[in-house]
Amino acid sequence: MNEMTREEWVSALTSLPEERLTELVKGFPADWKVQPITLPQVGLGMMKMKESAFNESFYLGEFPLASCAVTVTTESGVSAEGGALVVDDRMERAEQLALCDAVLAGRLPGWQKVEALLHEGSARREQISLERKAMLARTKVDFSLLEDVGGEDA
Amino acid sequence: MLEVAPIWQPHIQQQNYRLLLEAMSRPGSLHSITGLNTSSNSLLAVLAALLDSSVRFCDSNGLLEASDIALLQAMQTVPEEADYLLCSGIDVPDFQPRLGSLVSPEQSATLLVHVSALEAGDLQLGLTGPGIKEKQVCNIQGLDSDWLVKRESWVCGFPLGVDLILLDQQQLMALPRTTRVEVH
Repeated sequence: MNEMTREEWVSALTSLPEERLTELVKGFPADWKVQPITLPQVGLGMMKMKESAFNESFYLGEFPLASCAVTVTTESGVSAEGGALVVDDRMERAEQLALCDAVLAGRLPGWQKVEALLHEGSARREQISLERKAMLARTKVDFSLLEDVGGEDA
Repeated sequence: MLEVAPIWQPHIQQQNYRLLLEAMSRPGSLHSITGLNTSSNSLLAVLAALLDSSVRFCDSNGLLEASDIALLQAMQTVPEEADYLLCSGIDVPDFQPRLGSLVSPEQSATLLVHVSALEAGDLQLGLTGPGIKEKQVCNIQGLDSDWLVKRESWVCGFPLGVDLILLDQQQLMALPRTTRVEVH
């Protein structure tokens, strides 16, 4: 289907403008039964890190987190499960992503549209990644040049 | 598109929690549970108001569906270790719930007991104690009288004990450990 693992789907879909995902989800049949597996939740996550001197843990900060896991049952009785855990403070966003996850994983009607959006999102994510790498590369300092210049201590 | 029953909405859970406080304050009084519809029952509504991922829960008589238990988020455990137990009133308990300790009597179990009816029944109880003016009489259907024998053995060492919440299809009633119960 695609080279991406399922864990990467949310990342790819969130790389695109939000309206694209909203439009796609609105296009799913209204008579599908969507039920929660776990309750959709919105809250804050704590980012735990370790400092390098004493290797002790500390909390770098908080980030918004929304989660949702659903079972989707189509009008013909076919069902699939999907879930999403996303850095966002809107439950609707997690619900939309969980729905797309279920549609794609269960090959429910319309999965091709989700897959197309996924490929688009993947390309966009790659582009963003390249742009960031380029920005990072511009900040790189080549210390070897100092040796070439030479000096009294060289 | 996502269908979440009213009992999982925070404002309904807060209303049901408020009912529980009122019921515990006035033992034997009946309170109508909020937010019930065709997809949710009274047991689930009360559990939704009480449970989260930090407590241990046991459905000792298998009264709930597995999918409902997942929504409650509580850790599942054996009856002897549970903070909250869901039981059937017609099955006499064969376990020893947590009674707390003298230092921490609050670390005891709360038992939710499902009965057929709380307003009319063949078991008539006379309740006295804190929160009851003189005496409260109630009739219950679907509660084995041996439940009250067991309860007495659990609450006799006050402040140790358990708190009971009786539920039928629509209403709830509380029997905290301080309430003295006579079977008429």
